[in-house]
Amino acid sequence: MTMEQLIVVVVALPLVSAASIQLFSTALGRRAARLSVTALLLTFVLAVVLLVTSLVRGGSGQITLAGSWGILLFDPLSSLMAAVIAGISLIVHIYSVRYMAEEAGYARFFVLLDVMTATLLLMVAAGDLITLLIAWHLVGFLLYFLLGHDSRSQTAHRYAFWTLITYRLGDLPLLLAAGFLYHAYGTWSLTEIFARLGSGPAMHSVLGLSLPGLVAGLVALAAFARSAQFLLHTWLPYTMAGPTPVSALMHAGIVNAGGFLINRFAPVFVHTEGVLPWVFIVGLITALIGSTLMLTQNDIKKSLGYSTMGQMGFMIMECGVGAFSLAIFHLISHGLFKGTLFLGAGGVIHAAREDDGVPKDSLYTFVVEKRPARTRRPWLLMAAITLAVPVTILVVAHSLVSPDFFQEQGAIVLLFFGWVTGAQLIFATYRMRAGNLWRLVMLSIFSFAVVIVGYTLISHAFDVFLYPDAAFREQIYAAANINVLRFDILVGVITGLIVAGWLMTYYAEQNGRRRGDQPGRLWLAFYALVSREFYLTDLYTRLARALVAGATRLNIWLRWV
Amino acid sequence: MSDATYWLGGLFLPVFPLSMAFNAVFARVRNATLRSALLLAWPQMGLAMVLAAHRPVPGWLLALALFTSALYAFRAIGLRDVGQWVGYLATSGWALLWIAVANRTSADLLHLYALAFSVPLVLLALLGARLEEHFGAAYIGLYGGLAQMVPRMAGVLVCVVLAAVATPLSPSFFAMLATVVTITPTAPWAALALLGTWLLWSWAGVRLLQGLVVGPVDGVKAPDLGLASTWAYAAVLLVLVGSGFYLAGGAL
Repeated sequence: MTMEQLIVVVVALPLVSAASIQLFSTALGRRAARLSVTALLLTFVLAVVLLVTSLVRGGSGQITLAGSWGILLFDPLSSLMAAVIAGISLIVHIYSVRYMAEEAGYARFFVLLDVMTATLLLMVAAGDLITLLIAWHLVGFLLYFLLGHDSRSQTAHRYAFWTLITYRLGDLPLLLAAGFLYHAYGTWSLTEIFARLGSGPAMHSVLGLSLPGLVAGLVALAAFARSAQFLLHTWLPYTMAGPTPVSALMHAGIVNAGGFLINRFAPVFVHTEGVLPWVFIVGLITALIGSTLMLTQNDIKKSLGYSTMGQMGFMIMECGVGAFSLAIFHLISHGLFKGTLFLGAGGVIHAAREDDGVPKDSLYTFVVEKRPARTRRPWLLMAAITLAVPVTILVVAHSLVSPDFFQEQGAIVLLFFGWVTGAQLIFATYRMRAGNLWRLVMLSIFSFAVVIVGYTLISHAFDVFLYPDAAFREQIYAAANINVLRFDILVGVITGLIVAGWLMTYYAEQNGRRRGDQPGRLWLAFYALVSREFYLTDLYTRLARALVAGATRLNIWLRWV
Repeated sequence: MSDATYWLGGLFLPVFPLSMAFNAVFARVRNATLRSALLLAWPQMGLAMVLAAHRPVPGWLLALALFTSALYAFRAIGLRDVGQWVGYLATSGWALLWIAVANRTSADLLHLYALAFSVPLVLLALLGARLEEHFGAAYIGLYGGLAQMVPRMAGVLVCVVLAAVATPLSPSFFAMLATVVTITPTAPWAALALLGTWLLWSWAGVRLLQGLVVGPVDGVKAPDLGLASTWAYAAVLLVLVGSGFYLAGGAL
């Protein structure tokens, strides 16, 4: 069996399982779950075989199931994503066997889970626009039914509906992009479209815009809706009324589809100018707002929801700076840790009801109560370490894998980001009480070094695997570049802002007691704004209600005919 | 195309305000079989008239057809009566056939497009009649909880509504896809309006499902669909999926 045929089997296996459970659910009873898990285990094993083959042999191929569409791709991206999806889905399946045992519609749940897995696998393997659109479109509806699995819960369905409408909004730009591409190149095959686009990217224009730029913009919009970017994010934190395994699958796999889509259309993005910087800005805003909202939540699941939003912002930011393969690495690692957190959330809540189990030491007051320890350390020395160590590690690590990285603005942005977060980490760590200061500093520096060196090396490995052509990799970074002067000013302004933030924190810490504990009016207004999630949820709810009321009023005026 | 044919075409491939005639007739007909016949025959008659005229469709008529489609899709989100919902969605879908006619789609495909929009609505009209028979009304939000009360019927209802709102693998999905792809390069704004209409269908469909299928059972009892009826509905839905693939082969 060829690898191309194997990918068909990988997609088909969960479908066969779903059909079998649906047809024989009465006879199967609780064994339906066992059948589903077995099918997924087999799917995962085959997906790993595909991935290993892709790693060892490289190259790519495709298989056509219907006339001009129904094409499945076997390439590094599809094999990697198939292994990730099958792996996460398998864990969710195994977890669900007992978790869902007391729920009504046990067999139906596994049918839906299997169909969702097959659809996600189809999406990542799709080699033509129609297959991609079918899978992309279906995911929204399947997620609606999975989130609303408890058919008695109006709340679950209400928020599942938000998800569906946002996903449908995301379908629209992708459909338009497909229309433009098909009209320009006369084929549905992605491979052929990308080849023809590469040979003459400036050949087509629409409404005075270059075709690649327009299509890339539309693809990015579709990715934003799927990956909960700011203004299209409100569904994400509110879908916690669904079963926990579905939340895990959604946060670990489905929501990452935006990063996958941008990677799939990388051959379009390399022929654009000015699209990726906008992608970066949207990702940055999402990351900032998602992380801020996460900090104000007192519900663990909602907090996790906003954490996912922040992470999705980072993923889209990585795409925006041209680090496409890093976004794939990010979505995999985020998928694994967020899936684990969701599957463990129930246990944590249960355990916390008995005993929070957290020792009330300085670590607790720092992390939970957000109160820094009072002990002071030699501040100037720590500030010097804070600013110098991360940047040294990052420059050395990156220069090991890519000596000419200063040519790539995207890489510089990532280094900058690593420096800021790393510095913040060490800065925060230093404020905690410790018996041995130097031991604490060395440990924090070491852990930071492991993370950053690992991150840099792994991102390089992903780069080489997903985009073996070095020239193509450079093209992606080039597409993300902006005017050098503007870039330098931007970096300068942001550096200034961050350092000013640190200084303000230090000043407040030094003089906080003298000024009293009364928060300012501005601060309270900001807190109110954040705690109400910028009133976006209220706004959308009112808008939706107004639309329904408007439709009813129109029906009355037109006498219901 | 003569003026008289325009009027007749606008009546049977409904454009606003002529579309009100179809909905008035549909509201008056209460018999499920007659409603089904109406849903199947109405657009086919319109197509027969329009195709016989052999005249290009004027631009203003296309704009009016798009407006009609969007108007009825929008109005459908405020509906509660299943019968009216069927009529509005039929009007919204059939109006789009004007775009396919203008794009010189073959007559065979046009008839298939019309069937693709009509058949799921026929199934929904039949289910609606059954709901009226058991509950006295097929009314969104009146009782709910069908998934708990009559699971087979709820399952069939979900599949039928999904097919009606052009969800993938239903033939109406491929008909919509072909229409969008055809008009996107020449009239991107019209394509955007069409996509907005499609979004409103999904909204209206989900509202219908949430009002009927979701929720606790309130004590009302009703018999579920029999096994034979369930299989019959499933068979029609499978044929729909098959014809969707056929349509995809011909239209895309």
